[in-house]
Amino acid sequence: MDAIIQIVVSGLTLGAMYALGSVGLALTYGTMRMFNMAHGVFMTIGAYAAYSCVEAFGVPLALSLVAGILAGGLIAAIMHLLVVQFMLDTQDFEINILVATAGVGILLQDFLLKIYGGYPFRQPVQVEGVFKIGNVVVPYQSLIILALAFALIFALAWVLTKTKFGLAIRATAMNQEAAMLMGVKTSKTYLQVLIIAGMLAGAAGILISSISTLSPDMGQNPAVRAFVICVVAGLGSVTGAGAAAIALGLFEAAIQYYFGVRYGLPLMLGLVVVVLIWRPSGLFGRQEVIRS
Amino acid sequence: MTAIIGPNGHGKSTFLKTIAGLLPTWSGQIFFEGVLLPAGAPERARLGLTLVPQGDQLFTGMTVEENLKMGAFARSDQQAVRATLETVYSLFPRLLERRTQRADSLSGGERRMVGIGRGMMADSKLMMIDEPSLGLAPLIIEQIYGALGQLAASGRAIIVVEENPSRVAKVASNFHLMDGGKFDWSGTAAELETSGDIVKTYLGA
Repeated sequence: MDAIIQIVVSGLTLGAMYALGSVGLALTYGTMRMFNMAHGVFMTIGAYAAYSCVEAFGVPLALSLVAGILAGGLIAAIMHLLVVQFMLDTQDFEINILVATAGVGILLQDFLLKIYGGYPFRQPVQVEGVFKIGNVVVPYQSLIILALAFALIFALAWVLTKTKFGLAIRATAMNQEAAMLMGVKTSKTYLQVLIIAGMLAGAAGILISSISTLSPDMGQNPAVRAFVICVVAGLGSVTGAGAAAIALGLFEAAIQYYFGVRYGLPLMLGLVVVVLIWRPSGLFGRQEVIRS
Repeated sequence: MTAIIGPNGHGKSTFLKTIAGLLPTWSGQIFFEGVLLPAGAPERARLGLTLVPQGDQLFTGMTVEENLKMGAFARSDQQAVRATLETVYSLFPRLLERRTQRADSLSGGERRMVGIGRGMMADSKLMMIDEPSLGLAPLIIEQIYGALGQLAASGRAIIVVEENPSRVAKVASNFHLMDGGKFDWSGTAAELETSGDIVKTYLGA
């Protein structure tokens, strides 16, 4: 029984962080067919921004959290204005943007290395203390992670389904040309989508660093998982990415518990291969049917 | 209602897309109500030019009603939008039945109705409809043109592109024959009937 509680607690914590990292990526791909290779660095930037707010300026924790999230959105906006907007509507956009954002990612990561150095820091933006369910020790930070991740994801879901702003994003994702005919300024929509994705990445980065450490390359591993989750869910499916993230988090926690931490990622990737053999367009993906 | 008729591949759809701003103008300027149109489809849509594109181009993952609401995206008066929604539902009662269904679960005729309804939702000054009969069964085509006839009768300015003039002959008042990207013949409904050879040569009608 304790084993199951342990797996569920750490699985949900992992899954919630993965979900937060993945939905932004899925939203970007779904709306603009853009695979953002800099997504992982957005996480790192969010984490470092929150760290600096506390360590350098003594900003209260809650405000530092908000600042980290905003930093993720800001860097995404800057990338859109300096790079992405000039590449939209170009030939082979999907490939070019992948290479371009990978370049942006490397550049930003080296900036972080230059500013902060390679030494891993502890993330101060977290809540201390533990409590017990049965014999299982649960850190309060796990609850914070769960609550914040779900709050942000539900907020995103609400925006996408209930607001006019979200309607425009979904319309652009489904049919860009038709959205333009309805008066949606799609270039603005793309900027907004990237900002949202950057903010979610920033939040994910802060949470991830709170249970490990801060380092300039801390975004790589979660970004790989986010990509994997998006592929398993079906590229561009936002709800699918959320669900797949939770499922894979639980799966990984179980593997880690029974076989050891180092088997978590390899077995997860193995499962992904199996899923893709069985459903090439992902669990929630649709084969695109093109009608003239 | 003005109809642009002509054989396949002679620039009818390109003409509409250019007016709507989806395609750039190579030379010349387009004026609408005396105002030079800005570049870009969203800006033109907001000025009251609506294009109902060929093949519907619906938001397939959205419900019928969400699609219709997207049509009114540029409008801010929610009460007026609801009133237009009522008009659309009374013109196409089928859409009221299907309002919570996803657009990709609809039949071809229903999808066309959503496309036209979505165009109506903009409450624009000029509505351009590209081949409303494309790929539909004759009975459905009659229904669609019946609805378009009602729209035209209510005083709405409509440009419709159609390959087959006999389909629009009853509802449109002016006709332009497009051939090789140019208007080769223009006239009223009465003139079309008596035009004889010209139109027949082009269209075999």
